[in-house]
Amino acid sequence: MQSKISDIMDIATSRSLTYQQKLFNLANVAERLLDPREVLGYTDTEMMYIENEMICDLNEGYTLYRPRYIVPDYYVLLSKGCDFLGLKPPIDLDELLDSLLILYRHIPSITSFPVFVGDLDKLMEPFITEEEKDYIKIKRFLNHIDKAIPDSFCHGDIGPEKTRAGELILRAAIELENPTPNMTLRYDKDKTSKDFALKAVDACLRVSKPSFSNDKKYCKDMGDHRLVSCYNALPHGGGAYTLPRLRLGTIVKGVKSLEELLKDRLPKVTKAMATMMDKRIRFLVEESNFFQTSFLVKEGYIKRENFSAMFGMVGLADAVNYILEVEGLEETFGTSKRGDEIGHSILTVIQDVANSHEGIYSERTNNRYLLHAQVGASLSEEDSCNTPAHRIKVGQEPILPLHIRQAVPFHEYFVSGTGDLFAFDETYLNKPDAVLDIIEGAFSLGGRYITTYLHNTDLIRVTGYLVKKSEARKAGEGNAVLRDTDILGHGTNSIANVFERRLRKDEE
Amino acid sequence: MKNKGFINKIIPFSNVDGPGNRLAIFFQGCNINCVYCHNSETINQCIHCMDCVVNCPTGAIKAWEGKIIYDEKRCTECDQCIRTCKHSASPRIKEYSVEELYEIIEGYHPFIRGITVSGGEPTLQADFIIELFKRVKTLGLSCFVDTNGFFDTEQIKELIHVTDKFMIDIKAIDKIEALCGCQMKNNLENLQYLLSLHKVYEVRTVIALDYIDVENTLCKVAHSLKHYPEVLYKLIPLHITGLNAQQKAKIQGKIPSKEYMEALKEKVEKLGVKEVEINSFSTR
Repeated sequence: MQSKISDIMDIATSRSLTYQQKLFNLANVAERLLDPREVLGYTDTEMMYIENEMICDLNEGYTLYRPRYIVPDYYVLLSKGCDFLGLKPPIDLDELLDSLLILYRHIPSITSFPVFVGDLDKLMEPFITEEEKDYIKIKRFLNHIDKAIPDSFCHGDIGPEKTRAGELILRAAIELENPTPNMTLRYDKDKTSKDFALKAVDACLRVSKPSFSNDKKYCKDMGDHRLVSCYNALPHGGGAYTLPRLRLGTIVKGVKSLEELLKDRLPKVTKAMATMMDKRIRFLVEESNFFQTSFLVKEGYIKRENFSAMFGMVGLADAVNYILEVEGLEETFGTSKRGDEIGHSILTVIQDVANSHEGIYSERTNNRYLLHAQVGASLSEEDSCNTPAHRIKVGQEPILPLHIRQAVPFHEYFVSGTGDLFAFDETYLNKPDAVLDIIEGAFSLGGRYITTYLHNTDLIRVTGYLVKKSEARKAGEGNAVLRDTDILGHGTNSIANVFERRLRKDEE
Repeated sequence: MKNKGFINKIIPFSNVDGPGNRLAIFFQGCNINCVYCHNSETINQCIHCMDCVVNCPTGAIKAWEGKIIYDEKRCTECDQCIRTCKHSASPRIKEYSVEELYEIIEGYHPFIRGITVSGGEPTLQADFIIELFKRVKTLGLSCFVDTNGFFDTEQIKELIHVTDKFMIDIKAIDKIEALCGCQMKNNLENLQYLLSLHKVYEVRTVIALDYIDVENTLCKVAHSLKHYPEVLYKLIPLHITGLNAQQKAKIQGKIPSKEYMEALKEKVEKLGVKEVEINSFSTR
C-alpha cells in the first residue's frame, strides 16, 4: 500500500513510538511514497489488487534495497572472520559471542533486525570448555540479543544433533524466559537424541521455545536450509527477496460459488501476485545494487544465487467459511469435512499457479516461488477477516487430537514454512515423552513445524479415571468445590481443551 | 462381528494412562463399588428405567419402545443424567464392535504409542478386549489394562497373555469389603502373579484414612515390588472432586495431609521400592 505525506507527521509526532521505531517507520513511509506503477512497472490490474486489499504487500515498499529475509552462513565468521568489520576468526567463546553481536548489527532485513542469528549450538560447540562458566556467557549473550534486537522475528536454530552448547542454550532459555530470539530445534528422530529432544519439549512447554521443525522433510524439500523469522524455511547462505500474501478472506468476498472462486477470481489474483513478485525481485537485483555492494555477499556470508521468494497466503479459514455458507452448510473450517475439501481445493489452485510461474533470479528453488503460510499482521481492517495462514479460527478449533489431524495435511503445500500452535495442559509438563509422541506422529504424517505451549488450566487428571465435564467446568469457573481441599482433582487433555478454545491466542 | 464392547468414553490423547501418549478406552461395568469412586456412573449397565429422560435439559436422551436413545450431538455433557441415575449407570454408553474401535484407534495411531483399557473394570469384558488387542497390535501399538486387581487369573488367562502391561490398583489388603463392597480378596495375589510375568507397569493405592489399613497395605505392596525396580508405585491422596454428596459425607475427615503423604512415600522407598510417586496437584 502506498503511503501519504501526512504519515510522516503522524509518525514524527507519535507518543507511542520510540526514537528507533520512528526512524524505521519514516524510512518505510519513504519507500512507499513512490508509485509502484512508475518505479516497478506494476500494471493497473496489479495495483487494483493492492488497493482492494486482496493482495497485501506487507508494506515492504516499492524501492527494494535489501532482501526481506537474509540467512547468513555464520560459519564464514569461524573460518575467515569479517574483513569489512575488522573481525578475525574467533579463538574462544568470548570472541565468538562478541563478534556475533557485532555482526548482527549489520545484517539487513525488512525490519532492519537480523531474522536469523545462526546455528547457535553448532557455532558455540567448538569453544565450550568449562560448562558452568560458559553457561554464564551464553546466558548473557542470549539476554543481550533479547534487549538489543527488540524484534520477535529474530530466530536462532539448534540441532538436529545434541551438543553441550545446545543443552546450555536450552537451560539459559528456560531461565531467561525472554521472547527473543525465537528458536527452533531442527528435529530428526534418527539424529536428535531422545534425551535432548525431551529437554527441548520441556523447554517448549515452559517458555514456548524451541519449536520443532521436521528436519527430514525440510531437507528433502529445501536442501540446506534454516528456520528463520516466524517459522520460515529458507536457503542457508541466502534468503527470501520478498513476501507478499494473498488475503483469501478478502478475495472470496462476493463470489457466488466455489467454482467461481477456483476458476476465475483466485487464479487471476494469484497470477497477478506472481508477476508483481517478478518486478520486485528485478528491481532489487538489477537496480538497488544490494548484491553488488553488500560485504555479506563479497565475503561469502550470502550468495545471490541462494535467494528465492515467498508466496504468502492468509485467511484460508475465512474463505472456507464463506463458501460453506454459500453452499448452505452450517459448518465451520476445522470441524467440517467439506470445509477441508474446500480448503485443499483453494490451496491446490494457488500451488498450481505458483508452480507454473517461471520466476526470476530464483535458481536455487528451480525458479519457483515457494508457498508460505503467513502468520498474519494487522495492517488493515481486512486483516480482521483473514485468520493467520491455514489455521482454524480461534473459538472454532476442535479438541487437540482432532485439531492435529485436521491441520497436518495442510502443511504439505508450504515449502517455505508453516506452523501450528498446540496448547497442552499442565499434565504434559511431567510427560514430555507424550508430547514427543504427538510431534513425531505429526511429522510422520508430513507435518512441517509444531509449536507447543503450556496452557495453565487448573484441571489436572491425576490418574486413570474419568473426568466429568460438568465438574471440570465448575473447576474452570473456580467453583468452591475445589477450595475444599488443596489436593485437587483432575482434568483431561481433551476436556481442558474444550475450555481452552476461547483462551487460545495466536502469536502476533 | 458379534462380540460387542460396552464403552463409557474414549479419550484419544492421554498421558496419565501409561507411558507416552495413549488412547484410553473406559469400559462400562465394575465388579466393585468403592466408597470414594469418582466414576460411579461406570459401575452398572443401564437398565432403561427412563428416570434420566425427563431430566435431560437438551433432549439428548429420549425414550423409544422401552429403551433409551442417546443423541450425542445434542448432549452438552451437563451430567444431569448421571446425577439422576440411581443405578450407578449412564445412558450415554455406546456399544462398539472390535472393528469400529479399531478404526477409531487407527485414525490416531501415528500420535500414540499404545492404548489402555480402563473402566469400570475392563477385565469383565475380557473376550472383547482380547479380540481388540490382537487387532490393535497389528498397528504396532502396545496394549495396557488398567484394573482394580479383582479378577480370576484362570478366567482371563488369554487376556493376560495378549496384554503388554497392567496398571493395577491395590485398594487395600484388609477391610476390602467395607471399602470396595466386594467379597474378593485376591488383589495382592494377582499383583504378585502379574509381577512374576513381568507384566506390571504401575501399582496404585488411594490413601483414604481409616478405610484402609495404610501401614499393612503399603508394606505388603512394597514387599512385592522391591524385586521389580522398574515398576512404579503411585500413592494417590483421596480427594473429593467429582463425588456426590453422600460420598462426600462418607469420606469427611479421611483425606490425608501433604506431610503424611510425603512420610508414606519415604517409608515405601525405605522398604525398597525404587519408583514412588505421589499423584496430587494443588490449586493455585
